[in-house]
Amino acid sequence: MSETLNRESLLKAYRTMRTIREFEERVHIDFATGEIPGFVHLYAGEEASATGVCMHLTGTDYIASTHRGHGHCIAKGVDPVGMMAEIWGKATGTCKGKGGSMHIADLSVGMLGANGIVGGGGPLICGTALAGKIKGDKSVGVCFFGDGASNQGTIFEAMNLATVWNLPVIFLAENNGYAEATSSKYSVSCDNIADRASAFGMPGVIVDGFDFFAVYEAAGEAIERARNGGGPTLMEVKVSRYYGHFEGDQQTYRAPGEVQKLRETKDCLLQFRRRVTANGEITNEQLDAIDAEVKALIDGSVVKAKSDPKPAAAELMTDVYVSY
Amino acid sequence: MARKISYQQAISEAMDQEMARDQTVIVMGEDVAGGAGTPGEEDAWGGVLGVTKGLFHKYPGRVIDTPISESGYVGAAVGAACNGLRPVAELMFIDFMGVCFDQIFNQAAKFRYMFGGKAETPVVIRAMYGAGFAAAAQHSQCLYNIFTHIPGLKVVVPSNPYDAKGLLIQSIRDNDPVIFLEHKVLYTMEGEVPEESYAIPFGEANVLREGDDVTIVAFGRMVNFAMEAAGNLQKKGIHCDVIDPRTTSPLDEDTILESVEKTGRLVVVDESHPRCSMASDIAGLVAQKAFGALKAPIEQVTAPHVPVPFSDSLEVLYVPSVARIEAAVTRVKEYS
Amino acid sequence: MNARPGEIIVGVIANPASGRDIRRLTAKASVFPTAEKANMVQRLLGPLGLLGVDRVLMMPDTTGIAAQMLRAVRTHHAQHLPPWPELEFLDIPITDGAEDSARAARLMVEAGVRLIVVLGGDGTHRVVSVAAPDMPLATLSSGTNNVFPDLREATVTGLAAALFATGRVGRGVALRRSKRLRVSIGSRVETALVDVCVTRIPHLGARAVWEAEAITELFVSFAEPDAIGLSAIAAMVQPVARYTPEGVHVCCDPAAARVLAALAPGVIVPIGIASSETMIAGRDYPLASRRGSIALDGEREVELAGGEAVSVRLDLEGPWVLDVRATLAAAVTNGALAPRTDARHPP
Repeated sequence: MSETLNRESLLKAYRTMRTIREFEERVHIDFATGEIPGFVHLYAGEEASATGVCMHLTGTDYIASTHRGHGHCIAKGVDPVGMMAEIWGKATGTCKGKGGSMHIADLSVGMLGANGIVGGGGPLICGTALAGKIKGDKSVGVCFFGDGASNQGTIFEAMNLATVWNLPVIFLAENNGYAEATSSKYSVSCDNIADRASAFGMPGVIVDGFDFFAVYEAAGEAIERARNGGGPTLMEVKVSRYYGHFEGDQQTYRAPGEVQKLRETKDCLLQFRRRVTANGEITNEQLDAIDAEVKALIDGSVVKAKSDPKPAAAELMTDVYVSY
Repeated sequence: MARKISYQQAISEAMDQEMARDQTVIVMGEDVAGGAGTPGEEDAWGGVLGVTKGLFHKYPGRVIDTPISESGYVGAAVGAACNGLRPVAELMFIDFMGVCFDQIFNQAAKFRYMFGGKAETPVVIRAMYGAGFAAAAQHSQCLYNIFTHIPGLKVVVPSNPYDAKGLLIQSIRDNDPVIFLEHKVLYTMEGEVPEESYAIPFGEANVLREGDDVTIVAFGRMVNFAMEAAGNLQKKGIHCDVIDPRTTSPLDEDTILESVEKTGRLVVVDESHPRCSMASDIAGLVAQKAFGALKAPIEQVTAPHVPVPFSDSLEVLYVPSVARIEAAVTRVKEYS
Repeated sequence: MNARPGEIIVGVIANPASGRDIRRLTAKASVFPTAEKANMVQRLLGPLGLLGVDRVLMMPDTTGIAAQMLRAVRTHHAQHLPPWPELEFLDIPITDGAEDSARAARLMVEAGVRLIVVLGGDGTHRVVSVAAPDMPLATLSSGTNNVFPDLREATVTGLAAALFATGRVGRGVALRRSKRLRVSIGSRVETALVDVCVTRIPHLGARAVWEAEAITELFVSFAEPDAIGLSAIAAMVQPVARYTPEGVHVCCDPAAARVLAALAPGVIVPIGIASSETMIAGRDYPLASRRGSIALDGEREVELAGGEAVSVRLDLEGPWVLDVRATLAAAVTNGALAPRTDARHPP
C-alpha cells in the first residue's frame, strides 16, 4: 500500500505550499514597485504540483524546471532566502546574482535549474537519469514542463529517449491552460497532453493539480515505478496560474473573474486546509502557526535581499569556466 | 613509445585510454556502436567512420547508440555531465548542430555562469567538420567560429594525429564543455603518436615552423596547407612562422602577437566563410594589439561567402589552396 | 431544444475525462483517446439516422470530442452519405467535470429524449443515472476497467438504441432494471451502481483504488467471475448475477485466507477475505470502519471524518438499461430490420 501521509508529512506539505505562495505573492507586490530587475514568472496557484511531486524525491534525485520555476526550487529544497536575494540581483543570491529568476539552480539539492528555454529541460533530465542508472544509484529525474513546452521537439525527443533507454524519468506536464497568452486548447493538438504518452510507449495520467493529495499519490506511484526500473511516465497536472505569464501581463486574454473563482473554489491551500482539519488530523491553529512562520521567513528574506550588496564588478568576469 | 598511426586511430585510442582510466567516461551518439537492436553485429559500425569500433565490447554499457535525435542525446550528455559522468557525445557532422544548438549554447555553455559558479559540465561534443569529401552544403561546414563566439565553451581543432590524441584526452579530463572538431579529410593522415596517454593543454599554440618574414596562422587542415606553402616559399627566400593555435577557445594570443611583432606581416588561413570567422577574429586581434608592428595589410585566406558546393570541380575552388596561401604571403612580403 | 410533436431525440453523453486516471500508471489500463470517443459517437449516428432518429442532443466539451464531431458532420454531409440525425450540442457552461454529465442528463430529460447513450466508465454511468433516474441508458464502456457498461461495438449499440427509440422494440423487451447501492453518511446519500469500497486511505488522492491491502470492506450489487475491478473480489468468493435481487458484502483482512482477483487491467492480486454475506435488498448494512475513505464504483469519493454513522443498502431501483442483445434478437423476430427495396426510405 502506498505510504499514507502522517501528520508530520501533512504539515511539511502545507509549509512547502504556503512558502511558495507567500514567496510569489511577495514577489508580485515588490515587482510592482520597480525595484526588482528583469522579469519574473510566478507559480502562485500551482503549488500542489511541485509539492506533491517533490515530497517523494531525495537529494540525489534531480528535477529540471521551467521559467516558472520558483515553486519547483522551493519544493526541491532550495533556500528561499537565497532565492529572494537572487531575484533582487544580489551577491548573496543562490547564483550570486548572475542567474536571476529564470536560472535559479542548486545542484547540491538536485535542482538542475529553472530554464529560460521552453522545453530545454527534457533532454537534460534524461542525462541526469542516465547517469544515475549507469552509477546504479537508483535516482530518478523529474522534468517539469508546461503546455507550451509540450509542443517542443525537445520534449518529444526526450520522451522517446527515455523509453528507448528505459530511464527513470517522470515527464510532469503542468498544463495551466496558457502558453504566454495562447490557449492550450488552440495550441495543443490532442487537448490532453497525457494522450501523447501512448505514442511513446509510456503510461499517461491526468491529475487535478489543485488537489495536493491527488498529485502526491499519482506522483508517488510514478516515481516508485521509475525507481524500480519500470521506466518513464507522462503525468499531466491540470493547474492554473493566478498571475500573468510574466509580471505586468494584464491577462486580458482570460475570462472575467476566472482567477478569482479559482481562488475561491479550488485553491490548493484552501482545499488542503479544509480536508486535513475536517477529519481532525490537523488543527487550524497548527496551520495558522505555519502561516505566521512562513510570513516571517519571507518578510525576512525581503529585508535581507534589499540590504544585501549587489555583485562586485569583478564578478562580471568570473564563473564562466572552471579553468580557461 | 611512438609509432605511426592515423588521426582516426589517435582519436579512437584517446577515448579507449580515457575509458579505461576513468569509469565515468561514456560515449554516446548515432551508431557509435552501430547495430544496436539489429539482427547482425551489435557494434557493426563502431561510428559512421569506425572511430569508436571495438569500444562497445570493451566497455559494456558505456558505449551507447542513440536515436537520430540530437537535441535529445546531446542534452542528455549535458545532463549526465551535471550528474557526475564525463560523456563524450558524437554529433557525427558539425552541421547537425542546427538541430541541437540550444542544448549546447543555452544550456551547457551557460550553466556555470548562470548558476553562480556552482555547476561543472564536463561534456565533450565530438564532430567531423570541413570540406573535401564532396559531402556538399549540409555535411561540410567548419562552424568552429560559431562555438568560439560563445563564452563557456572550449573549442578544439587538431591538425595532426599527435595533437588529436593529446587534445582529446585533455578534452575528456577538462571540467568545462568542449567542442572537439575533427577534420574528416585528416582521418587518414598518419603521424608519430606515443602509445602512452598524454594531455596537451588548451590555449597553447604549436609553432610548427619558424621564419622572420611572415606569420601564418592556420587552423585544422589548413595548418598542413600552410606548412606546404611555407616549404615552397622558403625555396623563394620567404621565411614564415607557421602557427597552429590548436584551440580557438581559449586562444593563445601571446604566441600570435609575439610572432607578428617579429615579422610585421600576417596571413590567416581559415577554411570557414570569411565573415565573423577565425580569420577576421585574428586579424582584428592583431590590428588592435600589434598595429605598430605591422608592415603590411593583413591577408585573410578563407573560403568564399557561399555554401559548400557538391561537385568536386567547385569544391576544390571553394577550399583555400596552397597556391592561394603562397600568393597571399608573397603579397604581404612584397608590400612596400 | 425540446422535442417537437413526433420528433425522436436521442441523448449522447461522452465523458471526456474517462480512460485517463492513474490506472494507466498503476495497471496496464489504456489511454482512451479523444479521437476514439468521437469515432464511437460517429458510429452511433449511422444506425440512429438510418432508423429514423431525428435529432441527437449531445453534451459539449472543450477537450476535443465536440470539435471533432462538428468536423465529422461537415465532412459527412459533404460526401452525401446516408443522413445522420441532426446533431445539436446542449447549451451548458462547460467545466469538464462530472457536473457537466449531470447537468446534460437533466436537460436531456427536459428535452424529451427517448434514451441516453452514455460513453464512459462505471462512474460516468452512475452520475448520469443519479441525475436522470428513470431515463433508459444505452451503455458503452470507454475504458478498460469497467463492469457496468457494455464493452461493445458502438454501431451495434446504436442499432439497438434506434430500435428502442423509434418504438420498433418495446420497453418490456428492450430494457432491464439494474440494481444500485445507496450509501448513507449522516444525512448525505450517495449512489453506486456496482460497488462500494471502504479503504484505509484517508484521502481521496488520485481517486482510483488499486491496492488490495488498502481495502477493508466491499459491497457489490453484482459480482461476475469474469469481471475486472473491485467486484471481481466478491465474485471470487460469492458471485451474484447482474439481475438477481441480492448483493454481497465482503470484509477483507490481509491476514485471512486469500483469493486471487483481477483488480485492474493486468493486475491480479491475492486478497485476504475474512467473511462474506448476502445483502438483502432494502436492508441497511452498517460499515465496520469509521476511518478512511469510501470509493463509489472504484473511485474514492468520500473522506470519513470519523464520527458519522455510515450504512449501505441495496435497492432494485437502479437505472433502466438497454439490453442490446435482447433488443436485436426481438428485431430479428418481428422483422424490424428486414430489408426494404427502397433504400432511401429505411425500414
